[in-house]
Amino acid sequence: MLAMLDDVTKVYGKSYGLRDLTLEVPTGQVIGLLGVNGSGKTTLLKLLSGLLLPTRGQVSVLGEPPRRVRSKLVFLGETDAIYRWMGPTDAGYLMSGLYPDFCPQRYRALLDSLQVPTRRAGAMSKGERVRLRLAMALAREAALYILDEPLGGIDLAARERILQSIVGQWRADASIILSTHAIAEAEGLFDRVVLLKQGSLVLDALAEDLRERGESVKSTFLEVLG
Amino acid sequence: MTVGKTWDLDMAAGPIYRQIAQHVRRALACGVIKSGDRLPSVRELAQQLKVNQNTVVHAYSQLEREGIVETRRGLGTFIRDGIPVAVSQRELLIAAAQRYAREVLALSVSTEEAIEIVREVLDAGDVG
Repeated sequence: MLAMLDDVTKVYGKSYGLRDLTLEVPTGQVIGLLGVNGSGKTTLLKLLSGLLLPTRGQVSVLGEPPRRVRSKLVFLGETDAIYRWMGPTDAGYLMSGLYPDFCPQRYRALLDSLQVPTRRAGAMSKGERVRLRLAMALAREAALYILDEPLGGIDLAARERILQSIVGQWRADASIILSTHAIAEAEGLFDRVVLLKQGSLVLDALAEDLRERGESVKSTFLEVLG
Repeated sequence: MTVGKTWDLDMAAGPIYRQIAQHVRRALACGVIKSGDRLPSVRELAQQLKVNQNTVVHAYSQLEREGIVETRRGLGTFIRDGIPVAVSQRELLIAAAQRYAREVLALSVSTEEAIEIVREVLDAGDVG
């Protein structure tokens, strides 16, 4: 098992971010994490990456607490976090300095396929910055890629390119877990889908199994959460 | 090799691996691909279709089990030699005929009339 959340609860003050959640992440799987806003997706992803600690329960990646294996995980968050003075080349140097597993060749190929412009981040659109940050993230050779809404607020053509990049970067010895609202477009990517509702896991199924039963991930989502 | 470029996958029409395998069989039956042709790599096709690479692997395995393709290590997946295209064509036509037959039965039309309509449509070359 590559990673695991074992009976995890996360409380924020008086409210539950996640409640009694157990999730196992095998190697080589692409997991779609779905749910309405506020259902606990970001909480789950941050717990998995070690950015948050659980109130109860255990989180492990490669058998250890996530913070101990930070070098083996990649977290791409929703916040537009990149120094505005940096261009793609500067960002590449930063990543090379921080991460020995960062691959400059793959980075350049991703910058190209994601059509990231050669301007400083401050002069890029939000969508262009997301694509830059995605190139930075996917060019690392990690065991677990945790992507929080990588398609959020992005135009259609760019969404297509992002999906293609994620598909292309998949390796059998790594896993990807990503949250998105663009279910209809992204569903083809997922081996497995996990649906959250108000902090609890309400569905965990293989995407092709759902389709075998005549459903789609989209129809299942609407049925379970609509 | 344009396999994959214009394919329509319907996420609600059953497992994707099965739809991919069907598209390959269809391309073969229509002569778009032939014996000896190389199918796109798993990664290429997955990216074109924006589906999981495992799904493409599943489709190619299925086709290999059916004896339509063979994977040559390091080279790719190829349509096998000597695949009888006529057989695939017949299978596709039978499937189409079954769809037509369902309509015919639902409308309680006689077999003679159903065949006559097919003849008219084919003679007129009007495929809608």
